[in-house]
Amino acid sequence: MHGESGTDEAALAAAAGTKDRAAVRHGTRPSLAARLLLAPAVAWLTIFVIAPTAILLVYSFCDRDELGRVVFRFTLDNYRRVFDPVYVRIFVRSIWYAALSTALCVVIGFPVAYCIGRARGTVRQRLLLLVMIPFWTSFLIRTYAWITILKEEGLLNSLLHPWLAAPLDLLYTPTAVMIGLVYAYLPFMILPIYGSVEKLDGSLIEAAHDLGAGPLRVFSSVVIPLTLPGIAAGTLLVFVPAIGMFAVTDLLGGARVPLIGNVIQNQFLQARDWPFGAALGVVFLVLFAVAYWVLQRRAREEMP
Amino acid sequence: MRPLKNTLLLALALLVAGTVRAAGELNIFGWSEYIPQKVLDGFTKETGITVNLETYASNEELLSKLLAGGNSYDLIQPSDYAAEALIRAHLLEPLDPARLPNRKNLDPAFLHRPHDPDDRYTVPYMSGTVGIVVNTDRVKEPIHGYRDVFQPKYRNRIVVLNDNREMVSWALDTLGRPINRITPEALAAARPVLARWISLVKVFDSDSPKTALLNGDVDLGIVWSGEAAILWRENHKFQYVIPAEGAHQFLDVLAIPANAAHRDAALQFMNYILRPEVSVLISDVFPYTNPNAAARKLLTPEQLANPASYPPHPGRLESFRDIGRAAEGIDRLMTDLKSAR
Amino acid sequence: MSATVELRGVTKHFGPVAAVDDVTLVVRPGEFVTLLGPSGCGKTTLLRLIAGFETPDAGEVRLDGEDVTRLPPYRRNVNQVFQSYALFPHLTVRENIGFGLRMQRLPPAQAKARIEEAVALVSLGGLEDRRPHQLSGGQRQRVALARALAPRPAVLLLDEPLSALDAQLRHGMQLELKRLQRQLGTTFIFVTHDQEEALTMSDRIALINRGRIEQLGEVHEIYHRPATPFAAEFIGQANLLEARLESRGGDVAVVRLEDGLALPLPMGVWPANVERALVSIRPEKIHVSRTPVSNGEAFPGRVVEEVFKGATDRLVIASDAGTRLVAVVANASAFRDPIHEGDRVWCAIHPDDVAILTAT
Repeated sequence: MHGESGTDEAALAAAAGTKDRAAVRHGTRPSLAARLLLAPAVAWLTIFVIAPTAILLVYSFCDRDELGRVVFRFTLDNYRRVFDPVYVRIFVRSIWYAALSTALCVVIGFPVAYCIGRARGTVRQRLLLLVMIPFWTSFLIRTYAWITILKEEGLLNSLLHPWLAAPLDLLYTPTAVMIGLVYAYLPFMILPIYGSVEKLDGSLIEAAHDLGAGPLRVFSSVVIPLTLPGIAAGTLLVFVPAIGMFAVTDLLGGARVPLIGNVIQNQFLQARDWPFGAALGVVFLVLFAVAYWVLQRRAREEMP
Repeated sequence: MRPLKNTLLLALALLVAGTVRAAGELNIFGWSEYIPQKVLDGFTKETGITVNLETYASNEELLSKLLAGGNSYDLIQPSDYAAEALIRAHLLEPLDPARLPNRKNLDPAFLHRPHDPDDRYTVPYMSGTVGIVVNTDRVKEPIHGYRDVFQPKYRNRIVVLNDNREMVSWALDTLGRPINRITPEALAAARPVLARWISLVKVFDSDSPKTALLNGDVDLGIVWSGEAAILWRENHKFQYVIPAEGAHQFLDVLAIPANAAHRDAALQFMNYILRPEVSVLISDVFPYTNPNAAARKLLTPEQLANPASYPPHPGRLESFRDIGRAAEGIDRLMTDLKSAR
Repeated sequence: MSATVELRGVTKHFGPVAAVDDVTLVVRPGEFVTLLGPSGCGKTTLLRLIAGFETPDAGEVRLDGEDVTRLPPYRRNVNQVFQSYALFPHLTVRENIGFGLRMQRLPPAQAKARIEEAVALVSLGGLEDRRPHQLSGGQRQRVALARALAPRPAVLLLDEPLSALDAQLRHGMQLELKRLQRQLGTTFIFVTHDQEEALTMSDRIALINRGRIEQLGEVHEIYHRPATPFAAEFIGQANLLEARLESRGGDVAVVRLEDGLALPLPMGVWPANVERALVSIRPEKIHVSRTPVSNGEAFPGRVVEEVFKGATDRLVIASDAGTRLVAVVANASAFRDPIHEGDRVWCAIHPDDVAILTAT
């Protein structure tokens, strides 16, 4: 920390004459070089994000013909169908699954992130590596691996065999889907929380103890509030993609309960109703934008 | 100057060579698990044409992707009713009979089908049915049809195809209704049956339904006859039954899309497939019902004894016809029922 | 509210090194004791042992006679002001100060009063709703102090709390802390490496070196009667000289310094049965004059070096007898002539100003 006195600020204010103001203004305008460097990123964004989204939007107002081809005839039918109770119920269920898996990720992920964050040098690096290694394998393959573990004659049941009256019926149930979802998204929760924990000043915890807070109170009064940005970031990274997840329900859930991701996928494949799928997609996008905005606002409020 | 000129000439030559090479390829869009690699390799070895295979798991997926454009396929493998829709929309190339001399090998029973009465656009590939597989080690009772499968005591022990139209047709069969008349009234009648059935199913899988049966996670399945045949080959405990209420018989065909770039190669491939010795290779790996009479003569007794491949008692079989926009109603009904769990 | 703090034979190892080595210390209620020593001497570890952040490998820690050695920090009636202040960034000044009160489950009305009292105590009025990042260094320091004092602990520990402040602010805070301690009567245990700070504020100083207490005593005691060379040199400045007993006669012992200067000392001052010892003479205690003295009480010498230090002059004097001494003289007013390099001077040393170092 540097030595400070009340006069410092006054001195700075005096020193910041017109000359300094001009310097600040110049510093914020991007130079030509900066613009050129940004150009590829902007181009990528336009081609692969903005343009497809625009196409999606256009399709959502179109109609389809006998064979399932898109016909450019304006209609609001697709959006009317979106708000059909059948599909609303699926949206709600998808959000519920996503919320539940996010909550589980927080509960499971926070202790892990906390332990890693408080660990020393090499131990910490190794633990981080362990968290990230699964990413080196394809997500689909890892999901298939769960089938091998959870099936009736799978690893889990063979391990628990002596202690069970009947084999555990886990595969093709909502439980399996939840396991798959939590497993897939856990690292996305652990890493941001770890980032917050790492920045946590150890002396704050000591100060809290010193002032009479037991381990639980320290956790709730100091640790949680200060790691909230990490938790918020993790929640965003987990909740939103989880709503649209369809591979896990198909593979681990036996495709029994369609989630919004499955329904949208179905429109583009089996049902051959692209405009309706596009409408569902647009509504989903709007949901995402709202969730993002809400969480960002909360995160910004917490920061000084 | 000279080195630069040489470089440019070389580049041009490579470019031309590249495009010339592109002509020697064939882009097939077919079912997953339907064309053996040996067959593809054999074709390439003989003709030098590289074969690129992309797969799908349902006719709707085929139609979806095909109509989306973008990829230009040379050969597709639609089922009868999908081919019917494509023919009606003028999206298939008429086939030149002179290029398909091996057509004479086909069993006439599989020709002149409703989807293509003059066999102008399609060539039969494989036929089959959708029926019931029973793991007789676990299920001791006789199973004759859909009603026997969907009993409360088999709750969570059933796998079915993840195909909305299939399931609706089984319900309509059970109700004694025609499977190709999809009206709101028919769907309303099928609704309670389907609702009850769906609550008993453990897995919906069109990609590889035999997996769940082999894993022992389910004891009964309503799957394609090819899958059932593979299961029977694996272990005779897996018996195949054609549902008494009525079953869907399908004929998968080969056809050439109207915008195909390598028509020639496609016709060559079709003729190649119609050779008995090649057709046998397909039957070896995918034991569906082979429409090639000459090939059947080359099959082993074991293969011909497979009840899924060559059912002794065919029962009441019906083909799917194209139903156009009525598919929307099916999709809505099934989504609704599935999500109601 | 104050308590006795007792450390009995406390030892703490970090790896093979003993940060605190068999330390015994009693701090009386209401006392201001400073743990003074160079970096790495173990003073902070001692503080942490009292606070409860470390558990000793051997020995006991007692508060008011009660054994708290194994008690966690949140069960000890001891609060600490951290060197980095450790203010909770997500809470306002008011909430920071009230933290300990919340943990004590004080009723809201009482807590409010206590917070206001603490704010007034450290002159933080008007800043209650600010967050730590909106405060200056000095203001944060006060919040840390108020926060530690609000729960009215029996003992307040301060871990180099003024080290981050600039000189002017630091001096002001030193006096304020001393005043505060007098007012509250709480036992203060202060850690610093700055000997001047220690002298200013403390009742007693515990001089710590390499995990052990080198010397413990009242401020004046430690300054005028350092027990070891380390003590002599760490606090203030010292001339450390080898002394040999030359002769005894009546009630006078003559001691020769560095085989040069002869110094008469009263009989009782020089310890019995000791031939050689180290003596310490503070530079400011040497009386230097340009006026010749011939009564034998002063010894002559020449100024070989002179350094101007503002209020004082630092002189290196080579006595005729050969011994070199460092003397510090106040820069006199215009009434007196200044002393320059090369000048011939007469120096006198009072026997009371000679400290004989009894330990090494």
